[in-house]
Amino acid sequence: MDTSTIDRLRELVGEDGVVDNATALSTYDCDGYTLEKSTPDIVVLPHSTEEMVAVVQYLHQEKISFVPRGAGTGLSGGCLPIEAPVMIGTSRLNKIKHIDLTNRRIVAQSGVVNLWVSNAVKNEGLQYAPDPSSQQACTIGGNVAENSGGPHTLKYGVTTNHVLGLELVLPNGDVVTLGGAVEDVPGYDLRGITIGAEGTFGLVTEATLRLTRQPQAYRTFLAVYESVDDATETVSDIIAAGIVPAALEMMDTLIIQAVEEAFHVGFPTDAGAVLIIELDGLAAGLEPQTAQIQDICRHNSAREVRIAADDAERLALWKSRKRAFGAIGRLAPNYATQDGVVPRTKVPHILRAISGVAEKYQLRIANVFHAGDGNIHPILMYDERNPGEAERVVQAGQEILKACVDLGGSLTGEHGIGIEKREQMPLIFSPEDLLVMSDIRSVFNPDNRCNPHKIIPTPGSGCIDVRTPRRQVPL
Amino acid sequence: MGETEERERFSIDGKQPQEVSLPTSVEQVSEILRRAGERKFAVSPVGLGAFLHLGGIPRRYDVALCLERLQNIIDYQPTDMTVTVEAGMSLSQLQAVLGENGQWLPLDPPNPEQMTVGGLIATNLNGPSRLSQGTIRDFLIGLTVVRADGSVIKGGGRVVKNVAGYDLAKLYCGSFGTLGVIVDATFMIRPRPAAQTIFTLQFASVEQAMQTALHQINTDLQPFFLDLASFDPMNPANGQAGCHLIVGLAGIQEDVDYQRAHLLELGGGDEIQVPHVQEIEGDAAQNLSLTLRDFPVSGDAALRCKTSLLPAQIAEFCTRVGEEAALRGVRVEFLARAGNGIVYSRFLRPAEVPLEKLISLVDWLRILTKKMAGYMTVEGIDYRLKDRVDVWGHVGGAFPLMKKLKETLDPEELLNPGRFVGGI
Repeated sequence: MDTSTIDRLRELVGEDGVVDNATALSTYDCDGYTLEKSTPDIVVLPHSTEEMVAVVQYLHQEKISFVPRGAGTGLSGGCLPIEAPVMIGTSRLNKIKHIDLTNRRIVAQSGVVNLWVSNAVKNEGLQYAPDPSSQQACTIGGNVAENSGGPHTLKYGVTTNHVLGLELVLPNGDVVTLGGAVEDVPGYDLRGITIGAEGTFGLVTEATLRLTRQPQAYRTFLAVYESVDDATETVSDIIAAGIVPAALEMMDTLIIQAVEEAFHVGFPTDAGAVLIIELDGLAAGLEPQTAQIQDICRHNSAREVRIAADDAERLALWKSRKRAFGAIGRLAPNYATQDGVVPRTKVPHILRAISGVAEKYQLRIANVFHAGDGNIHPILMYDERNPGEAERVVQAGQEILKACVDLGGSLTGEHGIGIEKREQMPLIFSPEDLLVMSDIRSVFNPDNRCNPHKIIPTPGSGCIDVRTPRRQVPL
Repeated sequence: MGETEERERFSIDGKQPQEVSLPTSVEQVSEILRRAGERKFAVSPVGLGAFLHLGGIPRRYDVALCLERLQNIIDYQPTDMTVTVEAGMSLSQLQAVLGENGQWLPLDPPNPEQMTVGGLIATNLNGPSRLSQGTIRDFLIGLTVVRADGSVIKGGGRVVKNVAGYDLAKLYCGSFGTLGVIVDATFMIRPRPAAQTIFTLQFASVEQAMQTALHQINTDLQPFFLDLASFDPMNPANGQAGCHLIVGLAGIQEDVDYQRAHLLELGGGDEIQVPHVQEIEGDAAQNLSLTLRDFPVSGDAALRCKTSLLPAQIAEFCTRVGEEAALRGVRVEFLARAGNGIVYSRFLRPAEVPLEKLISLVDWLRILTKKMAGYMTVEGIDYRLKDRVDVWGHVGGAFPLMKKLKETLDPEELLNPGRFVGGI
């Protein structure tokens, strides 16, 4: 990138709003998806919507492509710069601008960390419901881009169910408000289609979020099983009983062992599977449901059903669950997390398919996932120093996703398509489906200079070319 | 039914289609649209024809494409809590099927016997339970749509959590049949609450009622619904004014019992005396639910409006509109989804007030709504006046994007031209 461009960007956002030295830039070469890497020429960190607009207008005028980035916790390479020299980070847009307790709304800039939102209203008995496992780092803007979920989506829904309005800077620098502070805004739900668009429609600068009342009480269970099948049967029976828990999470042996070694929460390391089941709501109603859950667990041969005695025990359980991925580092030097979805009754089938894949590719695969939603997260362990192992991980991941699709599921429940799964989109979408998606993108992003090469496979000769081979994985 | 009757059945604002098509398959829907495209015929997708008064006057209207013969359940997996259904099935039929497993699609829009699944998505109608359950966009997880050019596309899928590709389902919620013809839909469903009860609380003023409502939803009371009525909801026909909160409680029995006790103890918060609290049971409760659900389409009204505000603005809005209506010699009744900020207003015009006067009333309401940073749509007015009021009102700075979206997905303006926001 020429120096005049860099100088101009520096003028627009100030000295502390630019990162352009090689060492600092290297931290921006990937997100949580580390199999592919690419370094931007410059990272720009605007301090306000106005600065954001100035930067985007300038890039538009100069026909320079750019990628948005929040905290870089994404897991599908959504903010990987590909043929886009400029990265625009939202980390300086980190203010909560307005809290309206009466109407239970909060306006946060896109660089505000997810957990800050709930913390800001904690003492008022309110919370922001979506709680992705990376909530201590991930940002609201990133959550909007990915339509992030978390363990509690089963009852509370995902990001899109809690966002009322967005301020979006379009790729030409125009600012639009989508949705708003009130619930029903006439016209097309452009807020709805922008959430989950993985930053390909522009840059979100602020969001109006719906706040929810904190539950009066929780009941958190740890149910221990000899086999994964018994645990999954429990999940089905809970749903069949008409209970909608706040969370229904499963961990298999490998992950139990890793977590126990890391956090010492007292998980039985010889168990085949554990379920974390959380009920929340009014204390009065939790009593009878607790008895019901215990019955269902025992009926499905649970070896043990523990109930968190107090808030500290409950938080320890969640800490171990939300940091489970980190614990994997003890088992292998590298790992890749997959994200797929199956109808929840097909969880046993996909777990069998995963163990088949593990055997075929000679890989260790651990499972920790949102069983209540059918959203699986197999963790494929490897050592990048062993020749060919990373390639096997990529192939195995693709085979698992294919199995999800064959069972009536989807390629991703919450991590997004990004760059990682772009070429697999034709597994679930026809050329016509993909064409309508690129048509819609062109409404917001006609020149495709905002986060190019994401989600939709590269078009060729006027139609979607589904045969484009996957790019070589740089290692 | 003869051809003339069919055309009459689907007349919109006094305009009748030249043809009524009743496809029995997705292929036929596709073929009808392709042929219409060749002839440049404008097509309005319709269901059972009960909500055609909504929206603007069609600019052109050649074909009524009626989905009522596509009415099968495609896939229902109770333990997955998902259902895939053809667009022409009525909501009440769908609820009956789900009810066999103690489940439902947790939406209670008016007149579900006459509302198809496709119509429900396209109009984004809902009812009292939106407070605790949400709206159609919270439950629609996938759909199949026939585009204006006849191509068949799908968005989303059949799993409850899915972020693969753009969230097309959202785009079709409330899109009023202007982006494509919805032929099937997949919903996330929920268990029906085991127990329910309803309370009415009577107040001296709308301010006191709303103060109580806002106080209550910020306590451990988690109402299933919370409506505000400016009339006697137990006897809406008697025309008596009053101010009532109607609080629905639902869940397992223990939750309902706890909340009942809590509600009785809670009253109106700091200093508000609630003169009259009553628990409604049996048939009376059933009738009350229907009154609240059907208010937006029931009774005689010369003008019906829906206004979307912040919950804390409802009292001011109702007070000012009530005063203005009195000055203009018209009667007004309000029903508000108090926790959502949605106000349905129903204006009754005595014979001595000329029909024309409604136009200036709509203008006045628009100015007030805009001042309050809200949005207002006209949901019912004599169609002879419709060309003089913009039923959708302003939609803000995102309109150019909406227009571009329409041009991209339906470049020939074949689908429902003129009936949506800004003449889309």
